[in-house]
Amino acid sequence: MDLGKLARHAGEWLRGTGADSDIVISCRIRLARNVPDFPFTARCTAAQKTELAEILSEKVLDADIGEGAEYLPLDNLEEVDCLFLVARHLISKDHAEAEGAHGVAFDIRETTSVMINEEDHLRIQAFRSGFHLEDTWAAIDALDNRISERTEYAFSERLGYLTACPPNIGTGMRASVMLHLPALGMTKQIEQVVQAVQKMGLVVRGLYGEGTQASGSLYQISNQRTLGKSEMEIVENISSTVPTIMTMERKTRRALMDRSRDKLEDKIWRSLGLLRSARVVSSGETLEHLSHLRLGVNLRLVDRLDSATVNQLFILTLPAHLQKIEGRVLEPTQRDVVRANFIRETLGEQ
Amino acid sequence: MLCENCKERPATFHVVEITDGEKREVHLCEQCARDKKVALPPSLSLNEILSSLMEAHAEKDVPELSDVACPDCGMTYAEFRRTGRLGCQRDYAIFEKALLPFLEKIQGATNHKGKTPRRATQDTGQATELLRLRRELNDAIASERYEEAAKLRDSIRALREGQ
Repeated sequence: MDLGKLARHAGEWLRGTGADSDIVISCRIRLARNVPDFPFTARCTAAQKTELAEILSEKVLDADIGEGAEYLPLDNLEEVDCLFLVARHLISKDHAEAEGAHGVAFDIRETTSVMINEEDHLRIQAFRSGFHLEDTWAAIDALDNRISERTEYAFSERLGYLTACPPNIGTGMRASVMLHLPALGMTKQIEQVVQAVQKMGLVVRGLYGEGTQASGSLYQISNQRTLGKSEMEIVENISSTVPTIMTMERKTRRALMDRSRDKLEDKIWRSLGLLRSARVVSSGETLEHLSHLRLGVNLRLVDRLDSATVNQLFILTLPAHLQKIEGRVLEPTQRDVVRANFIRETLGEQ
Repeated sequence: MLCENCKERPATFHVVEITDGEKREVHLCEQCARDKKVALPPSLSLNEILSSLMEAHAEKDVPELSDVACPDCGMTYAEFRRTGRLGCQRDYAIFEKALLPFLEKIQGATNHKGKTPRRATQDTGQATELLRLRRELNDAIASERYEEAAKLRDSIRALREGQ
């Protein structure tokens, strides 16, 4: 797998297409699975990890995870390449830093990834652009069945799929929807929304998950509990919550257009101006202005730009991607210059 | 401004240290800041937070479990409370008495509802046997009893191929 080739475009989840893609960036579901006969990963010896990686990578590829799928061992991969895979959500941060034999299998379109020897032996993930959580579930359910025809899973009648950490036991499932909520953020209503969503037993996190702050007004909503509810119930709980949030965001966008269009347009065009002109720009600043730009494109206040281009910039301007595109390690100050150049190239310099 | 530690890379971390009421500014590059473990924003993972919560929540006194270790993976309940992780699938059965009330707390349920695998573990006896053999194999290698290790390796191979 040539990672350099991937670096020039974004994967499935940032295509910016699909239902409700003005607000919903993507859907993702992951399943945690373990095989019997081996301790959980953290307690495996180096030899056991090697054996597991050998056995499981073969079974996973045999289960057909999609076009052009390959298994990429991560044990000897450069740090910049690991961070690149983290940014694309193909692997977790923990997986990037793991020791011993571990790796990831994914297809060329990046709709599926299977981490081997993460906290659990298998972490299966499926991605879709736009609001298609049911489809995402159908895809990962079928893939999970194909893998389980090829290998046994650690499973108990009472507790379901047995995982290394009790917070994942049962379905082993985490379903999440990534939303872009700039209007709720601008009007300072986002806190109330987050609190309400949490009361529904759901978790709200930023772009890069655990412990990350919401940046660029991007929020991930996912289920907290994995035991006692079926996979479909978990999917339905999220699927019925998201439209309510979308309605609130759209109403607020309309209100902003009606009541303070000048200010809103000014904010958006200033962001475009800044991104098209800046010579040094940090990743935090980039996210903030890309968020405005994305809103502008969706409200048709900015033409000649499509949401796919803006979506891609969210990921291509991250440090790991810039270094991959440049083909060398960059110091933080160099990164800001390279980032500014890359953005100007993409958006067309003024 | 150059990093005051390596004096090579540009300083991107600017920290104010206060020691005994005396203020001092420190300017470091990313690399040195990481090496010195300063200036980097804390990155707590959900697992770390969960395990510290777990330690507080997990049943404190389950006297009958205090001396129990899993015969397969060697995990003890005290270790689980410290790390938030179990060692192998059998731990769920061994520590069930303490885990069920804990699951009730964090998951609000103690029974799985949802799909079942196409090929569930049919013969847990065999799985357990394999785990035991692997552990003995590791012990044998660690204490350089190679003859015994070779025999154990053959037994593991035979058991796996018979599956």
